[in-house]
Amino acid sequence: MATYAKPLARPKPHAEEHEENPREHLMHDPLPRGQMNAMVMESMHETKPIFWVVTAVLAVIVVFALGYEWYTLIMQGQGVAGVTRPDYWGVFLVNTVFWIGISHAGTFISAILRVLKVESRRPFTRAAELMTTFGLAQAGLSIFMHLGRVWLTYWMFPIPNERTIWPDFHSPLMWDLMAITTYLLCSTMYLVLPLIPDLAMARDRTTSGWKKTFYKITAIGFRGTEGEWKNLVTAMNIFAFAIIPVMFSVHTIVSWDFAMASRPGWSSTVFGPYFVIGALHSGMAAVAIVLFLLRSTMKHYKYFIRPEHFGTIGMLMFLVSMAWAYFYFNDYIVPWYGGNVWDKLVQEYTEKGPLGYLWFTMLFVNIVVPWAILWNKKWRETPWLLASVGVLINIGMYIERYLIIPVGVTINRMPFTWRQYYPRIEIPMTVGTFAFFLLLYMLASRVIPLIPVWEVQEGQEAHLIRKIGKAEVSTLSDME
Amino acid sequence: MSETITLLAMFKDIEPASEGVEKLQELGLDDDQMNIISGIPVKNTILGRPAAITYVTRIGMFGALLGIALGIFLIYGIPYLYPLLVGGQPIFPVPQGIIITFEMMMLGLMGFSFIGLFIDSGFPSYTPKEYMPEISDGKIAILFSCLNSDQDKFAKALTKLGAESVSPVEAQQL
Repeated sequence: MATYAKPLARPKPHAEEHEENPREHLMHDPLPRGQMNAMVMESMHETKPIFWVVTAVLAVIVVFALGYEWYTLIMQGQGVAGVTRPDYWGVFLVNTVFWIGISHAGTFISAILRVLKVESRRPFTRAAELMTTFGLAQAGLSIFMHLGRVWLTYWMFPIPNERTIWPDFHSPLMWDLMAITTYLLCSTMYLVLPLIPDLAMARDRTTSGWKKTFYKITAIGFRGTEGEWKNLVTAMNIFAFAIIPVMFSVHTIVSWDFAMASRPGWSSTVFGPYFVIGALHSGMAAVAIVLFLLRSTMKHYKYFIRPEHFGTIGMLMFLVSMAWAYFYFNDYIVPWYGGNVWDKLVQEYTEKGPLGYLWFTMLFVNIVVPWAILWNKKWRETPWLLASVGVLINIGMYIERYLIIPVGVTINRMPFTWRQYYPRIEIPMTVGTFAFFLLLYMLASRVIPLIPVWEVQEGQEAHLIRKIGKAEVSTLSDME
Repeated sequence: MSETITLLAMFKDIEPASEGVEKLQELGLDDDQMNIISGIPVKNTILGRPAAITYVTRIGMFGALLGIALGIFLIYGIPYLYPLLVGGQPIFPVPQGIIITFEMMMLGLMGFSFIGLFIDSGFPSYTPKEYMPEISDGKIAILFSCLNSDQDKFAKALTKLGAESVSPVEAQQL
């Protein structure tokens, strides 16, 4: 009797060397907890001179490119910027949308992966959460740059005043203020919560100096009693679930700043989810860059951040890239098919106008590059390659926001106002926000444990390797 | 009447610590008389302990209700006091009301959950406490009170189960 079987792959010589060993995963490669704590502390406290050189350079850039130029902008007015009719919305708002996008990945990775109990999230949630807080800080600064007369900010607050000027809650800009403020406050609290036990660990391992005082104050007296853990875990669970809809609402409302205007190219019902996916696209890519930089520069981080983690991020980047392409196509084809003359003009200007090369670059780096590289597991798990894809995606996403905002407003229903936008003081100030983001991150890396070490240890406690048949497989105990 | 003493039994792992808890219960110690201190959260059922009560959820819910009230005031109260006509929209719009109320509700929920953690845990607290820094390095401790005269009995029983040390502990500055 014949046995019908498909041809089987023959084992190649030394094939077992290439098989995945579960012990290579962080969760199955535990070290004594004291040693892990020491490694994290050492990575914070041992600083090479080059670190301070880079920090000083960034500080100088921040002072001049951000501080001095902003001072010039305030003293001389918006005339020193490139914004003028019809492009009153320029690079400052591009930066706002871009940085809010960057901030989305922190919450996405930390909250959604926590809710879904994705174990590989554990070592990099804090790095992502910090990105959220520092990214939102840049977004906030960018809004104030756009605002011009920043000293009149209080006009947006509903406080009694002589002029009887009241904030108009009918306006999407006010919704934006409420949403971004909520997101900034909540994501900062969400960063602080899981940080408390690690600050307590740092307090226990620091003996003297200002750092001891800092950790003593910031650890707020945490010891790790049953009640403290119960309260902390409960609060973290509430945040993990509650911050997800807030995250979605923030970028949806940002999109409504545009979509609520009946302007060609902007008035789109798909803008909300399209912006959310765009935010995740740039944010996930930024996480890959940050993880690569941390792994390359911080001592002992190769133990904590491994190729498997880049694999997880890479997989998410791949999925988000496909979703972004889907939404972009939706946003593109409906006005194209509709044939409205103004929509058509906007599309033609974007594709064939003087900045048409940007449109093609955007599609290439946002779709072609990630699809060509991220399908392959080995490539996804190559840190430098994933970080390079991340850089390209962020360039692409910055271009996308540029095409939507200043290029989008160029074409309006008054052709006599059409004019190409050229950023001026916006360029150094944009460089300044990037430098400020990096500076904050570098300074934080000296005082905050960027690895949530207790969460890693908790995960390692729950993981076991079990032999089933001929193979050793990873198993996870429900200890939460 | 004999005085009570606070002892700290230090264990290397969860397993002997859970046996230690069981032993203390057998020896007549009430659950309220002991506390577990650990570097990672350990489920109460693993240690054979009743669940700790938390008020964080309730405080968070209260915050959410407060947030809803604030949102309704902002979107409907302000136009009531100072009507503002915009593009033919109603003065008291429902769709915008949903947005503002949602944001305020979530801010209230999370803000008060955060505050709730502080209130319920007594944070920040900088007074001296019973603690050993080794706990954050992976040890797990049972902190319990017993009569002074029973100290040896408890210490012996816990040492037999694998306690690395069972000793009187004084509150110290963290």
